[in-house]
Amino acid sequence: MSDRLVVGVDIGNSTTEACLALVGPGGAVTHLGTALTRTTGVKGTPASTRGALTAVGRVLAAAGRRPHELDRVLLNEATPVISGLAMETITETVITESTMIGHNPATPGGEGLGVGTTVSVLDLAEHPVAEPAVVVVPPGWDFDDVAAALNAAAARGVPVVAAVLAGDDAVLVTNRLVHPVPVVDEVSAVEKVPLGMRAAVEVAAPGRTIRTLSNTYGIATVFELDPDQTRQVSPVARALTGNRSAVVVRTPAGDVTDRRIPVGVLELRGEVRTTKVDVDAGAEAIMAALARVQPLRDAHGEPGTHVGGMLAAVRDTMADTMGDGPGGSDAADCAIRDVLAVDTFVPAEVRGGLAGEITLENAVGLAAMVRTSRSRMQAVAAQVAAELGAEAVIGGVEGEMAVLGALTTPGTRAPVVVVDLGGGSTDAASLSADGVCTAVHVAGAGELVTKLVDSELALDDREVAELVKRWPLAKVESFFHVRHEDGTVQFFDQPLPAHVFARVVVLGPEGPVPIGTRHGLDAVRRVRREAKRRVFVVNTLRALRQVAPDGDLRRLDFVVLLGGSALDFEIPDLVADALAEHGVVCGTGNVLGDQGPRNAVASGLVAAHARGAVRAGGTA
Amino acid sequence: MTAAAPRPAQQTRRSLRTETLEARPVNLDGFVEEWPEKGLVAMESDFDPQPSVRVEDGVITELDGRSRADFDFMDSFIADHAIDVATTEASMALPSVQIARMLIDPGVSRAEVIAVTRGLTPAKVLDVVKLMNVVEIMQGMQKMRARRTPANQAHSTSARDNPLQVAVDAAEGALRGFAELETTLGVVRYAPLVAIALQVGGQVGRGGVLTQCALEEATELELGMRGITAYAETISIYGTESVFVDGDDTPWSKTFLASAYASRGIKMRFTSGTGSEVQMGNAEGRSMLYLEIRCILMAKGAGVQGLQNGSISCIGVPGAVPGGIRAVAAENLVASMMDLECASGNDQSFSHSAMRRTARMLPQLLPGTDFVCSGYSAVPNSDNMFAGSNFDTDDYDDWNTIQRDLQVDGGLRHVREPEILAVRAKAARVLQALFEYLELPRITDDEVEAATYANSSNDYPFRDVLADLTGAQQVMDRGVTGLDLVRGLEATGFHDVAENLLTVLRQRVSGDLLQTAAVLTADFTPLSAINDANDYAGPGTGYRLQGERWEELKKLRHVTSATDPETEVD
Amino acid sequence: MTTLDAPAERTLTLRETGPATRGTRPDEVVIAVSPAFGDPFTQTIVGVPHAEVLRQLMAGIEEQGVGVRVVRVWGTADLAAVSHIAARLSGSGVSVGLLSRGTAMIHQKDLPRLSNLELFPQSPLLDAPVFRAIGSNAAQYAKGQSPQPVPTRNDQMARPRWQAKAALLHLKEFECIRADAGPVELEVTISR
Repeated sequence: MSDRLVVGVDIGNSTTEACLALVGPGGAVTHLGTALTRTTGVKGTPASTRGALTAVGRVLAAAGRRPHELDRVLLNEATPVISGLAMETITETVITESTMIGHNPATPGGEGLGVGTTVSVLDLAEHPVAEPAVVVVPPGWDFDDVAAALNAAAARGVPVVAAVLAGDDAVLVTNRLVHPVPVVDEVSAVEKVPLGMRAAVEVAAPGRTIRTLSNTYGIATVFELDPDQTRQVSPVARALTGNRSAVVVRTPAGDVTDRRIPVGVLELRGEVRTTKVDVDAGAEAIMAALARVQPLRDAHGEPGTHVGGMLAAVRDTMADTMGDGPGGSDAADCAIRDVLAVDTFVPAEVRGGLAGEITLENAVGLAAMVRTSRSRMQAVAAQVAAELGAEAVIGGVEGEMAVLGALTTPGTRAPVVVVDLGGGSTDAASLSADGVCTAVHVAGAGELVTKLVDSELALDDREVAELVKRWPLAKVESFFHVRHEDGTVQFFDQPLPAHVFARVVVLGPEGPVPIGTRHGLDAVRRVRREAKRRVFVVNTLRALRQVAPDGDLRRLDFVVLLGGSALDFEIPDLVADALAEHGVVCGTGNVLGDQGPRNAVASGLVAAHARGAVRAGGTA
Repeated sequence: MTAAAPRPAQQTRRSLRTETLEARPVNLDGFVEEWPEKGLVAMESDFDPQPSVRVEDGVITELDGRSRADFDFMDSFIADHAIDVATTEASMALPSVQIARMLIDPGVSRAEVIAVTRGLTPAKVLDVVKLMNVVEIMQGMQKMRARRTPANQAHSTSARDNPLQVAVDAAEGALRGFAELETTLGVVRYAPLVAIALQVGGQVGRGGVLTQCALEEATELELGMRGITAYAETISIYGTESVFVDGDDTPWSKTFLASAYASRGIKMRFTSGTGSEVQMGNAEGRSMLYLEIRCILMAKGAGVQGLQNGSISCIGVPGAVPGGIRAVAAENLVASMMDLECASGNDQSFSHSAMRRTARMLPQLLPGTDFVCSGYSAVPNSDNMFAGSNFDTDDYDDWNTIQRDLQVDGGLRHVREPEILAVRAKAARVLQALFEYLELPRITDDEVEAATYANSSNDYPFRDVLADLTGAQQVMDRGVTGLDLVRGLEATGFHDVAENLLTVLRQRVSGDLLQTAAVLTADFTPLSAINDANDYAGPGTGYRLQGERWEELKKLRHVTSATDPETEVD
Repeated sequence: MTTLDAPAERTLTLRETGPATRGTRPDEVVIAVSPAFGDPFTQTIVGVPHAEVLRQLMAGIEEQGVGVRVVRVWGTADLAAVSHIAARLSGSGVSVGLLSRGTAMIHQKDLPRLSNLELFPQSPLLDAPVFRAIGSNAAQYAKGQSPQPVPTRNDQMARPRWQAKAALLHLKEFECIRADAGPVELEVTISR
């Protein structure tokens, strides 16, 4: 019997990969090449056939072979996975009665603390001489005229102690005052500042922060408050901490509150017990509740909330996908099998703010995953066989194939565990020394990382968030040099494009791309790494605990990382560092010695076939 | 202190009529006084050169008062390539008024006129047209345009670069009668998807429509070579050496680009227009029309088959000076009398006044040109990515009515709504299937439904721009060509559209579209100056709006029936 | 005092104090005006007084705590050239170039002459708040910060309305060029 030409095809969530090889009569394998293409449709449904055929076509063409030479196509037992994710903001900051201005404008004027009564510049000429004035200036006033008005009042004997401006004019005004005072500007809703009330304005020197208005007792001193009143102003002081400037107005019922927004209940149904947890309790509470009911059989959110809508949509999409197959859809097959909750921040405008204050509200990001036990790969196999004129066989369970592929990495042997870091889900599979394979899938992967980056940096641009995730950062310091995030400097012969000047950029494949954020490079880097840690490290540990003997990570020896996200420049290191604490050796796979972390399942199918482990006949 | 504005001491009483007139849209337009020394003048300037030519040993050694030693590169190019050396002295000796008479005399054939004009210098050509009022210019145009049958061109673009919108509006535009369609982008990376959408949508509307995508020149050439566009137009030339060089080009570099298209059998024309040189501050003291005539001769010398002119994006400049629109009409005539195809402007926002917008285009519509508009906006102007056209979709019914009022063929016709909906829905479904075949981001059924009934980009669901741009890059990386589109259309069951596109692509091999003023009819017959030569020779001759075509143009949205006055004609 | 209405007319006086020199302090922006700015022209294409244009540009720079110098370029009326000459004179390398009709640009000394940091090509759409924002952004670039570019408006009917007048103003400005004169330092006085 001569060598047989076989191709292993792995239909994944986002990519379909093929591995072409000659298998000799004794099981010897000669690899001829690999190819990959985008998965068409949902993995494991007839729609994904076309992608499979494309991948096979490409790998054959690259190896100079024709379809009719193919003996067998080995397909993986790809069951559809639908993933979804949603973000729910769970806190809300509200300022009532315009009691505080804390937007921290870039260029306040003057320095120090001014305490007086709020009076509009329009009424300043009539203001009594004895009373210190905090002058409030509406939009449309020219800075020269504002300064003239303040100087005139001061000359008249009115103690002008501070000013609050609508326009960006604080420095301009203070430069023209005979007696400079603290001035806060860029207050867009200045007409809401209550007049005739006691108020305090504080501006710190450049590079410093305020001391009085960010101190509860400082505010108490300024406004002569009793202990009960002092307790009430504490949130105001807290909200102003870290600011270079601030205004506090003593209004009768004004305060600043941090409300928790009720966003409904998440119901987690386990094998044995069911539990409910408030989404606004935060990620830790949700994951703790999940741990108590593991293994998860389904999850439901509150209708009308983002989380509820997402969970319902994910379930419906699976029902639609499976609905055209044999036997119709079955409720049990469209169940949420895993969720991952992550604490995050969403920048949001403060309600009742006078100057468009933005604060970082707490939010919960939730990723969910639906898996079904039924497969429609039969239809796919039949179509592939018809198109190519070769036998098409569905071989082996996914996890097992991934492990076999990973074992073609030099330096590995069973027992071994693989972790596949994908776009929609993170998967782990283990192969014990006696050939027993266990596989698990958890929700949350690359897409969730992108969403976190997008949200926490307030980018509102998925394309840029994706770039920030994948590529390292630099700050363009001049037209001829950038400083990389590791501190090293790189010089250029040709000047950099004008639109990146002075910006924090991502060093993408097509050159530097500026990031539209106010944050410095370190902040962006921190957000990126934390997002990857909160998703991939957490999930790797979660998945490994489910396949490790007795859930004990220390009992694992070798872990091999696979999948697209294992190509990321820092994720493998973050994961390896976290596993090192548990004494686990972790590295990125190198399938076939030259494919890196890709093509594991496809290569595994070929390897399994060569061992005769694949049953002929196409039965699942 | 007060907060009220100070009232003037004494208020003069104003005419109520003046107030009404002040508020008219025409008074929002910009008008300036002439400044002939600087070239801020349409065509009547004492500073334009006197016509002259001297030939020695078969070489032109003097051109319009300049000797060869003082030629700039425009003079050299025109002297060496544009003017027919054998006949120039004889033609230049004819009095200008005689040549002008030949232009309007129905007894003198087009060929006889061309035999003379091929030997004229720029200043002589200017001298001739200066003798003609706008009616005479129109009369000349009627005879001198290259192709007998007039046609029209439209823009199909989207403020969001939504390929679905471009396809669907291209289909409707083609159905309404446009023979050429043009698109451009806000985000250049969208170009492959939008160019594909324009071409496919056009073929759904009517097989044989030719499409172009206006881009940076290298990218535009590449799309043309791949067969994703059918022709190119926005290759610009200028009337003074200084302005040409400011754009990093010379007549030779532009000619080289033109030959690159010709080598692939791809139709192309240059673009020029009055006003560009003075706008850039470098008119060298010449009038706008004089400099434009230099452009026209340069185009002729390069060997391109045609020219887009009629001021184009500088229309605000001639439009602001006296006689400017007459000069614009004259520049179209000059292109035609130099035996070039003329795509005659009317493609850029020009006035706030609807009356003025219409008056501007009559000198092209009434006599007929090869393309009455070189960019009627087949999308609402808010979606027009060429910064707005003189006409847009809101004007369709007015245009059709004017055709019917004056019995002229402006290339368009009224189409009933059910047909429009059907062709839009089909274009959307074709693009949906083709996108799936090419593994491009899905077009949903919701989008197809929205596209069928939409007016502007606001009526479409948002697309995932990131995914589209990735797909667009893949199209380029995978080397997708027009033949892949044909295969895709066939594979997805749209055999008729596939056949249309393949037939258009096949023209590259036959080269028929390289002939002057070539278009394709609905049954794919090339129609050009070769086989549809303009044979106008007075009343009752040449192209006449009559017969079946006239019956078609009699139809409007609401026409009361004569047989049953209580109903309307269907 | 009435301050909510149109500002009282201010006068602009530009006095030459000598040849323009390269600045040494890194926290300054140089504003360069074209040959006809202030004299004979006194307002932009849409009637914003030159006094107000300079006043707002300088205010934007001052608010950012950055110094400013004003120079006049005599040798050219090309906006990119005017701006780039100023950028090379500026201690921070950042400049604002200004034509009489209002067209403006923020430039930087290491950029190619025909490039820019921000360009404001539609002079009819520039008003006092935009000039203030241009000054503010230039100062922020000078400090090594990365401001959001000043939003540019778009007006499809700008062409019919202003294209020819812009050409006319451009030609007039050209006439005021003194080809052999170098850039000069200006003392700016804006008074009511």
